[in-house]
Amino acid sequence: MPEIKNYTMNFGPQHPAAHGVLRLVLELDGEVVERADPHVGLLHRATEKLAEHKTFLQSVPYMDRLDYVSMMCNEHAYVKAVEKLAGIEVPIRAQYIRVMFDEITRILNHLLWLGAAGIDLGAMTMFFYTFREREDLFDVYEAVSGARMHAAYYRPGGVYRDLPDSLPQYEASKIHNAAAVKRLNENRQGSLLDFLEDFCNRFPANVDEYETLLTDNRIWKQRTVGIGVVSPERALALGFTGPMLRGSGVVWDLRKKQPYAVYDRLDFDIPVGTEGDCYDRYLVRVEEMRQSNRIIKQCITWLRNNPGPVITESHKFAPPRREAMKQNMEELIHHFKLFTEGMHVPAGEVYSAVEHPKGEFGIYLVSDGANKPYRMKIRAAGFPHLASLNEMTRGHMLADVVAIIGTQDIVFGEIDR
Amino acid sequence: MSEELKLLGENLKEEFADKVISLENKLGELTLVIDVNDTPGVLKSLRDDPKFHFEQLVDVCGVDYSAYGSDVSEEGSYPANDADNRPFKYRFAAVYHLLSVEHNFRLRVRVFAKDDAMPTLHSVIDVWPSANWFEREAFDLFGIIFLGHPDLRRLLTDYGFVGNPFRKDFPLSGHVEMRYDAEQRRVVYQPVTVEPREVTPRIIREENYSRH
Amino acid sequence: MGIEGILEKGFVTTSLDTVINYSRTGSLWPMTFGLACCAVEMMHVSMPRYDLDRFGAGAYRPSPRQSDLMFVAGTLCNKMAPALRKVYDQMAEPRYVISMGSCANGGGYYHYSYSVVRGCDRIIPVDIYVPGCPPTAEALLFAVIQLQRKINRTNTIAR
Repeated sequence: MPEIKNYTMNFGPQHPAAHGVLRLVLELDGEVVERADPHVGLLHRATEKLAEHKTFLQSVPYMDRLDYVSMMCNEHAYVKAVEKLAGIEVPIRAQYIRVMFDEITRILNHLLWLGAAGIDLGAMTMFFYTFREREDLFDVYEAVSGARMHAAYYRPGGVYRDLPDSLPQYEASKIHNAAAVKRLNENRQGSLLDFLEDFCNRFPANVDEYETLLTDNRIWKQRTVGIGVVSPERALALGFTGPMLRGSGVVWDLRKKQPYAVYDRLDFDIPVGTEGDCYDRYLVRVEEMRQSNRIIKQCITWLRNNPGPVITESHKFAPPRREAMKQNMEELIHHFKLFTEGMHVPAGEVYSAVEHPKGEFGIYLVSDGANKPYRMKIRAAGFPHLASLNEMTRGHMLADVVAIIGTQDIVFGEIDR
Repeated sequence: MSEELKLLGENLKEEFADKVISLENKLGELTLVIDVNDTPGVLKSLRDDPKFHFEQLVDVCGVDYSAYGSDVSEEGSYPANDADNRPFKYRFAAVYHLLSVEHNFRLRVRVFAKDDAMPTLHSVIDVWPSANWFEREAFDLFGIIFLGHPDLRRLLTDYGFVGNPFRKDFPLSGHVEMRYDAEQRRVVYQPVTVEPREVTPRIIREENYSRH
Repeated sequence: MGIEGILEKGFVTTSLDTVINYSRTGSLWPMTFGLACCAVEMMHVSMPRYDLDRFGAGAYRPSPRQSDLMFVAGTLCNKMAPALRKVYDQMAEPRYVISMGSCANGGGYYHYSYSVVRGCDRIIPVDIYVPGCPPTAEALLFAVIQLQRKINRTNTIAR
């Protein structure tokens, strides 16, 4: 009787479907997975240790680079933690701007997720369609902060600056004549809010397009229905949050249960799945995109009607205006101390969590009163999701491993930090 | 929200009367400090008792309190406070963040490891399976050993990494760096060549410095 | 007339070089080596707005043996460095490397971290460095065009 051994295979760090750098050591019995051991740490950049050596403001861009497909939500968790510990009051307009950008970020994340999960399972078209919308949202990021991806827009106390009144226009060139450019510039004539409103009017049609491609697609259903099923109790025990938890039927969303910023004043629904398989999670995320669209529209209406300050008045945390800095001594001193030494956050500890597109993203901040954090722990949403990969893929086949990694929405920036 | 938290605090004090070392309610968050040996029992009842019902372990965070409150920095690392200047008695702690979906409240539980040289705590993987990787991470980055963990090995650091990087006495740039050696035809480690620098010194000023 | 005569710079050899360079630059097949955030901008450069495919570089190959260009997009960590070197060694000549983003250029934002390789040029030879954090998709497009210009300057037959 020949000895039967499991075949151990390396689903290497360089792999198109590995969503970044994942080294998965798979023990296979033929095509069926017996054990999956994820090796992470291939993108471990020691963000938490670096944060201990940087002032509180200098850590904000590090937060962008954690989950690099949903940038501003990470920043939101961090600035919320600093504000809670320091007792800073954030102006209402800043909170609405933050909520609006959080939802834009949620759409950005789910669009990339849809494109990547699609291309991993063979639906290459999704990738091109979703990135087309992402480019528009990147233009929004760029208009408000100057950078397409890593905005560093949220600051402790509010946001960096108010929304712009005009957007950069396309110019006629050798490949685009004036008529084509005029068509491209149509929705950029007004302010950023006009551009966003135009996006929000077009977006539901785009989501319908994506659903037409995938939702009733036989192949998509065969690849995702019944794959990676997690029961609600097991999901809670494994530390799942976000769409992974809601796909299993648990009604838990921090925006409704522990509202922060202005989520309690906005009107939106939370999609919850029933089966707990990849298909339900896909439906949850697509519906979340529609709900985010709804929230953005409400924020746009409010922001149009209510001008105001966008950062706290306290100059111990937010830099004063430049004109004031150049004329008054006190503002000059505040500016100087803020940009050389940084803000001092009182001693204490705080855990602040936001409903990140992937789940619950939390920052545990320990301060001893200095201008730098003492310990900053980042609770990434994808960390327990990837940890449960072993359990979720047991008994499935190799191709399903790709589907499960895709449904968990893994981004290595936040797992390895 | 704060009444529920006060009620939770009272229930905790009532249930675990002698095991509670301290229970603080600050900034709308409740922090419970318990002893190492009580950990498995207390955390299990926190999960199972219907008054608490913390179904979810959100986070396990390792902390090194050796340089708390000090603004002395030395070549990229923070040396420990002197013996008479320590705000915390022990050096290493694990901080558990718990979430109750049913009651919609959170709790923070801090457990100190008694031995500074070889910090050991009990693993809570039997209570919440999500503790698996969190404890592996704390072990890797701080060197805290979790008794009862089935698979305690490194998670984030490199395969042959020596040391526990997040300890305060470990320098930021580490001890070794990597490059490709053309003779040996593989990547090799060499001692670190980058100079540690501190752009902004760490400084602690008086108590209400940033009161606004 | 020996072999040296044939290899001198003449009309035939330079024309042949032009053709070789034209075919190399016209179909640079990149390899998907996205490590971190720059990978997202790398995805954006091959998307409809900044289409990299019109420059011939749209066929991303997952396998290093089938590609001739590698974008090192993202932070290279110590744990990943042997894998990078292995993948580079598996690429067939002529092979080109574009170091994308400040993390790949010189450690970047994470330069002082203990687990980051301070520049992927410590591990593999690099042809073009693209600055930015992350470089916009347009900057990456410019880098590919610069690489094409660099390839056009090389001589394969006429030395």
